[in-house]
Amino acid sequence: MVAIIFGVSFHEQKLVKKALESFYGLGPQTSARILAKHCIHPRTKIGSLPPKTITALTAELSTMTIENDARRLVQENIKRLRDMGTYRGRRHAMGLPVRGQRTKNQIETAKKLNRVERIA
Amino acid sequence: MSAPNCLRCLVRPSAALRLSAPPPASALKPATPPLTAAASRRAPFSTTPAAAAAPKSSSQGQQAAAKGHVRKGKRLTLKGKKKQKSLDHGKSPLPGERKAYRKRITLSNDNAIKVPWLTDLAAPDLADPANVGKVLALPPTTQDQLRASEAFKPTQTWGMFRQPAVLVRKETVDLTQRMQEAAAARKVLRMVVTGNKVTGKSLMLLQAMTHAFLNEWVVIHLPEAQELTTAVTEYAPLADTSPVQYSQPVYALKLLHAIRKANADVLAKTFTVSEHSELPQSLPAGSPLLAIANQAKEVDSAWVIFQALWNELMAPAPNRPPILLSLDGLAHVMRVSDYRSPAFEPIHAFDLALVRLFTDALGGAVKFPAGGAVLGATSRNNSPRSPSMELALAQREAEQQQQQQPGVEVPQKDPFFRGYDERVDAVLRSVQVLRLGGVDRREARALLEYWAASGMLRTVVDEKAVAEKWTLAGGGVLGEMERASLLTMRV
Repeated sequence: MVAIIFGVSFHEQKLVKKALESFYGLGPQTSARILAKHCIHPRTKIGSLPPKTITALTAELSTMTIENDARRLVQENIKRLRDMGTYRGRRHAMGLPVRGQRTKNQIETAKKLNRVERIA
Repeated sequence: MSAPNCLRCLVRPSAALRLSAPPPASALKPATPPLTAAASRRAPFSTTPAAAAAPKSSSQGQQAAAKGHVRKGKRLTLKGKKKQKSLDHGKSPLPGERKAYRKRITLSNDNAIKVPWLTDLAAPDLADPANVGKVLALPPTTQDQLRASEAFKPTQTWGMFRQPAVLVRKETVDLTQRMQEAAAARKVLRMVVTGNKVTGKSLMLLQAMTHAFLNEWVVIHLPEAQELTTAVTEYAPLADTSPVQYSQPVYALKLLHAIRKANADVLAKTFTVSEHSELPQSLPAGSPLLAIANQAKEVDSAWVIFQALWNELMAPAPNRPPILLSLDGLAHVMRVSDYRSPAFEPIHAFDLALVRLFTDALGGAVKFPAGGAVLGATSRNNSPRSPSMELALAQREAEQQQQQQPGVEVPQKDPFFRGYDERVDAVLRSVQVLRLGGVDRREARALLEYWAASGMLRTVVDEKAVAEKWTLAGGGVLGEMERASLLTMRV
């Protein structure tokens, strides 16, 4: 059995907390609050949720800035920095560390992530 | 500040160059002929096969070198070969199977010798002072009842003997006598069993439950308080409660099944005084309480059914049985639970309806119609610190001692410590405390003789052996005696 939350199907053995945290822009703090709001204990698995709660969760998530909205927000912030011509924006565009780190080595994360159209 | 050059095409020039420029021809073709060629030009008189002579590692190194420059750090391999995937070990256990094996309770061992002088417990036996220092067996029906209410624990050594048997201690008789007196006076004995680790606190609860079962009480036992408060079971706010209380329907259903299985006989003989239309199938007045418990099948209705059953047991009517309400692991309910309210506030354990039921009874707010007992046992395993509970128990104990020797000082609150909990203080203000320690030598001897008769202790039980085991066990601490003499047998 699978349950569909916010358009994504989850296996019934998955923890609800982990399922919520799989959405971009939704971390441990927010997921804990969502669980408390719906009186779901932290070790609940998807399979034991009643359908009513699943729809309530989907409704709750659809009001939040998560997934593509959250990604777009980050991209817009970077784009704004770049358009203003700031140093941070430039470093993003160059794929280099933004916050004053050394660049001789250990900049793999920056290379992977720092770009104008940031994905993750 | 304006950007010095077009920001869209800011790419590191060196990287771009490296990407766009074609690889040098020398990088594609090995600069030197591979060593295999040299190996093939072997001496004609060699008897070694050509394949064996080819040094494989060096040729690999050559190929790696041929691909171009490789940074050292990127090719870090530990201990050369990768570990081989482990072989197929057959079918892995199904979900929950390992836990079921770990938590299984074995109550008999066919290889143990039958103890000829062992007699079954009868109803008055546990309250008879003449039985102190005797080992008595649990009768089969009581075993089933105790098993249904989860009184046996997997860490206890029931599985080593042919039949489960218990040692009657002074404290046991003391406790059961007080239970009897309370029931006779239609009062409630409110007591906390405490003591150091492995001194037999859970076993004291088991003995109290045995006494209650044998004397046809209704026993409601909460075997692990941590299951209620560590946020591992469903919870839901209860309507019409202020401040809001929370029911735990899944746990309530499990508890109802246990109550039904353990107390079926007594419940069948007790009848309802009022009509119950709120139940899934409405019941008229005068139907047996077992009919209420039998309705517990769905999680949704579990809490309503439990409440109906509890209200019926509490109803002031003649022919109500005495009730034993017991809980193991008291510290877990004397604190703020791990649950969160919808407003993300931590929920105090006393706001969980099932815990509230117990603590109200322990605090003396509930009168049982036919009397009974409310017992809580502290635990030394995985128990959270509850400063209020520790202090309250120390105070009650000192107050009890004061009655015998007036010089004893009652400990007071630390005025500079803020971790006390007023709600806990209020509940434990008037409980009795039963502190368990080691058994005396006579009881220790009885136990060792029983172990020896079962073939589990391979020594002659004489003064010397008893003294040795008793001393090794820190002055007759039962669990340590088991460790010193029984568990050495474990393979």
